Amino acid sequence: MASQRRKTKGENLALRYAILGAWALFCLMPVVWFLSIGLRPRTEIITPTPIYWPSFSLDAWHMIWEDWPMGKYLRNSVLAIIGSVVIDLVLAIPAAYSLSRFQYRGREDIGFYILSTRMMAPAIVAVPIFFLFRTLGLLDTIWALMLIYAAINLSFVTWIIRSYMLDIPKELEDAAKTDGAGEIRILWEIIIPAILPGIITASVIAMIFAINEFLFTLLIASTPEAYTMSVALANFTGGSDGVIYNAIALVAFLAFLPIFLVVVAIQKHLSRGLTMGAVKG
Amino acid sequence: MTLSDVSATGAAKAAPDSPTPRSVPFRRRSKRMRKALPYLLVAPAVLYLLVITLYPGVFAIVQSFHNVKFGPWQPAGFANYAKLWGDYQFWGALWNTFVMGSISLILQTVIALALAFYAYRDPWVKGWRIIFLVPMLFMPSAVAFIYKLAFLDGRVIADLLMKVGLLDANVAWQSSTWLSRLILILADVWQWTPFLFIIFVAGLQGQDEEIEEAARLDGASWYAIFFNISLPMMKPIIVVALILRAIDITTMFTNVFIITKGGPAFGTETISFFIYRTGFKFFNFGYASAASVVMLVLTIVIAQLVVKRAFVSARS
Repeated sequence: MASQRRKTKGENLALRYAILGAWALFCLMPVVWFLSIGLRPRTEIITPTPIYWPSFSLDAWHMIWEDWPMGKYLRNSVLAIIGSVVIDLVLAIPAAYSLSRFQYRGREDIGFYILSTRMMAPAIVAVPIFFLFRTLGLLDTIWALMLIYAAINLSFVTWIIRSYMLDIPKELEDAAKTDGAGEIRILWEIIIPAILPGIITASVIAMIFAINEFLFTLLIASTPEAYTMSVALANFTGGSDGVIYNAIALVAFLAFLPIFLVVVAIQKHLSRGLTMGAVKG
Repeated sequence: MTLSDVSATGAAKAAPDSPTPRSVPFRRRSKRMRKALPYLLVAPAVLYLLVITLYPGVFAIVQSFHNVKFGPWQPAGFANYAKLWGDYQFWGALWNTFVMGSISLILQTVIALALAFYAYRDPWVKGWRIIFLVPMLFMPSAVAFIYKLAFLDGRVIADLLMKVGLLDANVAWQSSTWLSRLILILADVWQWTPFLFIIFVAGLQGQDEEIEEAARLDGASWYAIFFNISLPMMKPIIVVALILRAIDITTMFTNVFIITKGGPAFGTETISFFIYRTGFKFFNFGYASAASVVMLVLTIVIAQLVVKRAFVSARS
């Protein structure tokens, strides 16, 4: 489609590529910088004048596996994130089904309430949530992280799935109904298979937000017991040693790679997912 | 589907010769049960969100009328709110959030629109999308550290500026409010302009090419087409994208926490950081809750006035 679009009158192609190219450079430069920091020895990071051509070193690689329980942080992240996405899907799929395929009083208000929880600043609920989890004895556990990530992403996931459900032609459902299928069966056997791309998109976006989550994790996980990658990074400061930048940069780069591959795979659905279904990209 | 549809299909299901035994429990359900079904389906999600939003809301309101330090809660009346009213740090945090948020949002919008405008007709639009997406996929905490290193600890940016002759001495970023804000804004623009870009490109690609083509045949220039046709058509999409971005910008925390710690002299302290500092650094939970309640009220007002309308118009 894009290739069919012609050059507009008065538009300068050189300018187009200069602008796009400049931004591409600005996007990729810090990434090169991540890699360059991650693969240099610690002594070449903070120096009187910056070193642009450092010597190669796997210091950081050894450090993250030997000096820190990186495997444990990784496991915490993965468990908390997968658990939260499962909770989200279990709650969001029926909710989205209800919001998209039924007419009833209060439907719009319920839908908007779910959407509006996306607007809550984490800091607003941070203090009460902290007390809640303390009362429940869940502080410093990945259970608490799972529950909070699920809550943060629930509105997003529900609205994305709802948007995909709205696209399913009603005829498909009616045909199943005349065959005598009940609503739950229709949901399970017709709707869910038809909106699988939407479910995957929602899950991927939920995972990214969960990986990135910082404030709640910082409050809930106060010891390395429940640290996730995101907060563990902030604690690579090793006391008097100062911030251990090469380890941070390397971990960030390693975490980036799988996320990048997954997102490229769902690229087509991304704009729709990011706007909670408001844009049909 | 209307209510009459529901009851009609209900009747259809009561037909005795249905060949599928698995649906029997649903078919025999009473009419009242059928009416309750959509509510039952949405209830678990709503209950979950109520626990995580309404409960904290009520809790924060109650706590905001108490003095909560280490011991038991002491009733404090409106003392926390009165203190908030006169607290220049609280107003400062609101102001900083607003200033840094608006500058960052405006920059991101302009850049993303310009990039989307140039990219969407380009044969390599898929490639541009993938490259521009990259910053968004790094963990924000790591991005914050990398910017801290580049600007502060490693002095790379100042060194580069000196090399090209724009500076003749090192810069003390941290001693200037505006330079510190600049770092935060730059990191935010770098990481989150892609969010808007992806959405804007999708919006531009989704619009009717024929209108554009007709205008082009009439001899309209690119900026006439862009400002008079593309932009107005994309308005609902732009509004939704900006709202989502604005929500995240106003809750800015990670970069402040890692790069500036709110300094110098609270000049980069955002409202999220203010609540965090009062509650979890000084353990003045009652006071932090009072600030949370004020923010909560603001959020609800904005949600009702702006967001509801935007999402409804984007859908229709």
